[in-house]
Amino acid sequence: MQAILDAISLGGTYALAALGLGLVFGVMRLVNFAHAELITISAYVMVVTNDLPLLISFLLASLVAALLAILTELAIYRRLRGTGPAIMLIASFGLSVGLQKSYELIFGALPRSAAVAPWMTGSFEFAGLNFTISSLVTVAITIAILLAMGYLVERTTLGLQLRAAATDFKTARLLGVRSNRLIGSAFAISGILASAVGFILVVENPQVDPMFGLNITILALVGIVIGGISSLRGAALGGFIVGFILSILNTFLGNARVYAYSYLFLAVVIILLVRPGGILSKRNEMERV
Amino acid sequence: MSKKLAGLTKFNTRELFGPLLTVLILSIGVGAISASLQLAVQFALCNLVMVIALQVFVGNSGVLSFGHGAFAMVGAWISGMSTASERVKGNALALQELWQPLVGFNLNLYLSILAGMVLGALIAAITGAFLMRLNGLAAGIATFALLGLFYNFFFNNITFGPGSQALPAVPKFSGVYEPLVLSLIAIVVVYLFNISATARNLRASREDLLAAPALGVSIQRVRWIAFTISGALAGLSGAMYVHVAGTWQVQDYYLVFTFLTLAMLVIGGSASLWGAVVGTLVVTAVGQILLLWEQGKSIVGIKLDLPNGARSLIIAGSLVAMLLWRFAGVTNGKEFSIPFLGKRKSG
Repeated sequence: MQAILDAISLGGTYALAALGLGLVFGVMRLVNFAHAELITISAYVMVVTNDLPLLISFLLASLVAALLAILTELAIYRRLRGTGPAIMLIASFGLSVGLQKSYELIFGALPRSAAVAPWMTGSFEFAGLNFTISSLVTVAITIAILLAMGYLVERTTLGLQLRAAATDFKTARLLGVRSNRLIGSAFAISGILASAVGFILVVENPQVDPMFGLNITILALVGIVIGGISSLRGAALGGFIVGFILSILNTFLGNARVYAYSYLFLAVVIILLVRPGGILSKRNEMERV
Repeated sequence: MSKKLAGLTKFNTRELFGPLLTVLILSIGVGAISASLQLAVQFALCNLVMVIALQVFVGNSGVLSFGHGAFAMVGAWISGMSTASERVKGNALALQELWQPLVGFNLNLYLSILAGMVLGALIAAITGAFLMRLNGLAAGIATFALLGLFYNFFFNNITFGPGSQALPAVPKFSGVYEPLVLSLIAIVVVYLFNISATARNLRASREDLLAAPALGVSIQRVRWIAFTISGALAGLSGAMYVHVAGTWQVQDYYLVFTFLTLAMLVIGGSASLWGAVVGTLVVTAVGQILLLWEQGKSIVGIKLDLPNGARSLIIAGSLVAMLLWRFAGVTNGKEFSIPFLGKRKSG
């Protein structure tokens, strides 16, 4: 039972990371590698401001991550719009490495640690089963954020514009969507989502180093592609699937768990061969440039 | 789009000998300056072969591949494993669980490099048969999954390799000439492939995924051919690397290597062979100059005291800056030409 809960909570965390990536991808076809550094910076901020009340510390982290996201958009991505996904991907990788090195200069290469929200590491018994508090809280946070995002995307003007831009950016612009503002908002929201991921991760593992957010970002990237890059729902679902499978493999593979990634990647290749556009895609859909 | 199609179509002596002579002169010239630069040249040549391997597939097809690190990994693995001495393989701590037939498996240096190429091509051919139907991001992620799979396997497996540790005492090249000759051969091979009808069809599919098949191009087939050739070249790059470094470690062929070489390709201009050469050259030169500054030495009278770690930051920064300045790469995707000399192309 704890295994299932763990899998759901890890899946949820990956879904949040995938959602942040999918949001930005939707509006500008950018695979933002530097999302990892948004997660990392929010974890750093929470470690550094650990003496402040948790809520304030988290809000600060969200603010910093959102500002950094907007800054990268203004300074770099805006000028690369329309150059094609490959170039933007390489640029985002350069940015990612650059930010990692900046963190190394600012915070040092060795991990910084602090017990963020120590009450979450405990466990309790319910109906004869043992649960860790952090996995329950993670699931709760994930559900809350997914619901909030669902509301934002389905019910608000901003959400409508985001969906319109993700479907056809040019037409959306022609219909009066302000592209710069929309893309800026997408980046800001992805920064806030990254800080939620940063919070969940830093509770589980308080050792923050410059590469802190890299692993989850790579796997979430894999997730958004297998889920279906054309929709936010697909992105979140894909992220969830990757996290869920990984957690289940880790539990049930026993000594062979070191090969969990091999099985995961094999599954990814197979899923992509069967459904190149992702699980939620319509058949025979081909992206036209 | 009204941009002129990049990419060469018929044999042009200048386009072949431009890159060849550039690499030849720079390698020998820079290599002669000091022992440490000579080693740097050898590493740069390994990267060069990887970058032109990527150019063959990524440049011609427009499909991103992160999987080439896996081909370099296996190429280096077999080449290193077959040349490390039996004594080392039998006694090294990291290799205690090594599969017995591997301990006795020995080839000479050149056969081992050939084995690296064959294995690289083989893995590329097998995986390519499945992967070549994918486009865009799906292809990028699937090839990335391939890299991740091989990395995860070798990192944890101690039956076929040293796991997360290093395979020690792989014989090294005696100097700059062996990797240089191998690189020059690779350049000629790539040039000849790039002017072939197959490569032209592949570039047609890059420009238009719907029109090319309508004109009779089997996209999967031409992509598969290019993928296999570039797999062989990536295997060659790995096999060269293992004999320059003198050791095999799975980490050497993972993310940093993959993205560094892809960045070299993009910075130089992925649409041409000359772009691959220039990209490798520019990124390597910037890296070397910064390295010297970091060590507190002066270059042409300029001395900067860089703090440790600033080098990678500046390299990453200049990568982004170069993309902002000229996103189609330094060469703008053009092949080598000498301006104001001979017949100038119109348009």
